[in-house]
Amino acid sequence: MNCDQLLLHPRVSAALRRGNIQLMSVKDVVCASAPDLQRLTGLSNSDVQQLITAAAAVCRRHPPITAQQLQHGVSGAQLRLGCPVLDRLLRGGLPVGGITELAGESGTGKTQVGLQLSLSVQYPAEHGGLGAGALYVCTEDSFPIKRLHQLIGEQVCLRSDVPADLVSSLRFSDHVYIEHTADLDSLLVCLTRRARLLLTRGLVRLIVVDSVAALFRTEFQADDWLERNRQLLTFSSMLHHLSQEFSTPVLCINQVTPSRPSLSTVSPALGLAWANQVMVRLMMSRLQGTVVRGDQSSALRRLEVVFAPHLARDGQNAAVWREGLRGVESWTSNRK
Amino acid sequence: MQRPVSSLPLSQAVRLKLGSAGFQLTADLLDFKPDKLSKETGLSEEEAVEVLKAVKGGGGGGGSGDISASLTALELLQKEEELRSIVTFSSQLDECLGGGIPVGKITEVCGVPGIGKTQLCLQLAVDVQVPQCFGGVEGQVMFIDTVGSFLLQRVTDIAAAAVRHCSLLAEDDEQRAAMETFTVETILSNIFLVRCHDYVELLAELHLLPDFLSQHPKIRLLVIDSVAFPFRLLFDELSQRTRLLNGVGQQLITMAINHNIAVVITNQMTTRIRDGQSHIVPALGECWGHAPTIRLLLQWEGSRRLATIFKSPCHVETMVQYQITPEGFRDADQSEMAHSKRPRMDTDQSAAEPKDTSS
Repeated sequence: MNCDQLLLHPRVSAALRRGNIQLMSVKDVVCASAPDLQRLTGLSNSDVQQLITAAAAVCRRHPPITAQQLQHGVSGAQLRLGCPVLDRLLRGGLPVGGITELAGESGTGKTQVGLQLSLSVQYPAEHGGLGAGALYVCTEDSFPIKRLHQLIGEQVCLRSDVPADLVSSLRFSDHVYIEHTADLDSLLVCLTRRARLLLTRGLVRLIVVDSVAALFRTEFQADDWLERNRQLLTFSSMLHHLSQEFSTPVLCINQVTPSRPSLSTVSPALGLAWANQVMVRLMMSRLQGTVVRGDQSSALRRLEVVFAPHLARDGQNAAVWREGLRGVESWTSNRK
Repeated sequence: MQRPVSSLPLSQAVRLKLGSAGFQLTADLLDFKPDKLSKETGLSEEEAVEVLKAVKGGGGGGGSGDISASLTALELLQKEEELRSIVTFSSQLDECLGGGIPVGKITEVCGVPGIGKTQLCLQLAVDVQVPQCFGGVEGQVMFIDTVGSFLLQRVTDIAAAAVRHCSLLAEDDEQRAAMETFTVETILSNIFLVRCHDYVELLAELHLLPDFLSQHPKIRLLVIDSVAFPFRLLFDELSQRTRLLNGVGQQLITMAINHNIAVVITNQMTTRIRDGQSHIVPALGECWGHAPTIRLLLQWEGSRRLATIFKSPCHVETMVQYQITPEGFRDADQSEMAHSKRPRMDTDQSAAEPKDTSS
């Protein structure tokens, strides 16, 4: 929006036209300093303040609301994982505005979580979903389509809290949009065009990026970290904006790297620059031992909350079954 | 004052009009009223008022001209002592800060992700509302959230814990009466929240803030969480970023002084390579370091959380330990806190890194 579209005193508008800056965008007015504008327009201080206030009022999206009004309004919905034990760990599920990261070694079940969320998002709000599909962006391996179909088939088993006819009526595979991006440029294009389009049309309310580390680690040399950080910031700010604008949870799956002080522990890859962009950080790890249930057995996993604004640092044991990831309540498994 | 009129901070047109009407020195303007001045010089009423304000302000004008008389240091000391600080509910940290977060100054909280910066901000947003009979400031708070970390669940937890804490302390009738109005609902209604999605929205919000503060004189705290997040995207235009941040710093300190509020901002950490070694330092550069009056650094030491005051004109550089409990930001006094924690919080320390729990 330009200055000439603002509602100003005629004297101020005239001064803008004289100084030839009536086409200055409101964004530039807000970012300019008052003395600079005084110099450009020849106006007095109070007139310049009026101009800046008018421009700022346009740039502001919402006036301040109280936290009480937030409570009664369309406040933080959450995306349930589908398992009551794990949802209790997350106090309801993934928050809708902000980046949630899931890091872990390979084979711990991170992709399982991504797939499970791609299905749970499709349930209506009263059953913990968001009533829309998911955009699943694969950057390393190809999408595990067989596993997705298996999970779809077992949804009735997993979601015993939802009436079976509702589960059967949902056409899950129609609403999971899969993208394969092999390099950084195509990833950014996918987010700017495809993701935005799907979100605007209300077709998706979840974005999963599997995985974040793959592209950023391979495309840059060790001493190119400055450029890598810039690309990382661009990418994460794009995700962040999409998440805030469309109230959409974003799940970024990340790899791990040996952490600095002792090489025996691992921490999420991509360092401090990436960690600063993440709102909720979760880690999956494999534990010793297996869990047996009927004819199935699964290696024991642990889902930990590393940090989150609303969650305590806690963890929950879990196992991967045919129907998906489920929390293991008590330590009643066979340990080997 | 024998200052030439041309040296006053006025626009060129106004100066020309004053000059052509024969006003050369500020002493000539002292006895004029605005309407008379506008008639003599052909200026508008508003411009005349501005000229006289600039003259009376002694050349430092432009802002709200209430600070016309100068204060002695004794008056300033008395004023400062009257102002209460905002407690953090961590008695050790409050002691180091001399009572709590000071009003009228900018306090910056830096730390790595997950250390507790947002928790401290949410705690302060609740603590500023503690009634005066309990030693609190009883003010409202303006919370500017650029990250999206203001989650209602957590604020409600902290508010409920604060209400519980105060109701346990209530001894006399005055305090019990104050507890009637200090409930979770009223706490939430006194927190004004704005979400800014990029640096332009943040700057716009800061421009509109003085008016908002004048309309809501009970606001005693301004929290910006975080200032670094939107500005770190301006990596291509560092000079513009420095200029904008300087402007932000000036606006914040002006607001802090004029409206008697405490300003708390959070900053991220970044890696700086110096002499071949990498250090973790507060983000936004060295220039930004001059803007806040007090800087708190939150960091990990093993599994302990430490808070250090590393810049302050009036406090010793001290380090205290704190913890984040379901109730909020608290002291790390193990003997006192252990009993009130729920059993699962004992795994707090061991949950720091995922370990193989084979036994």
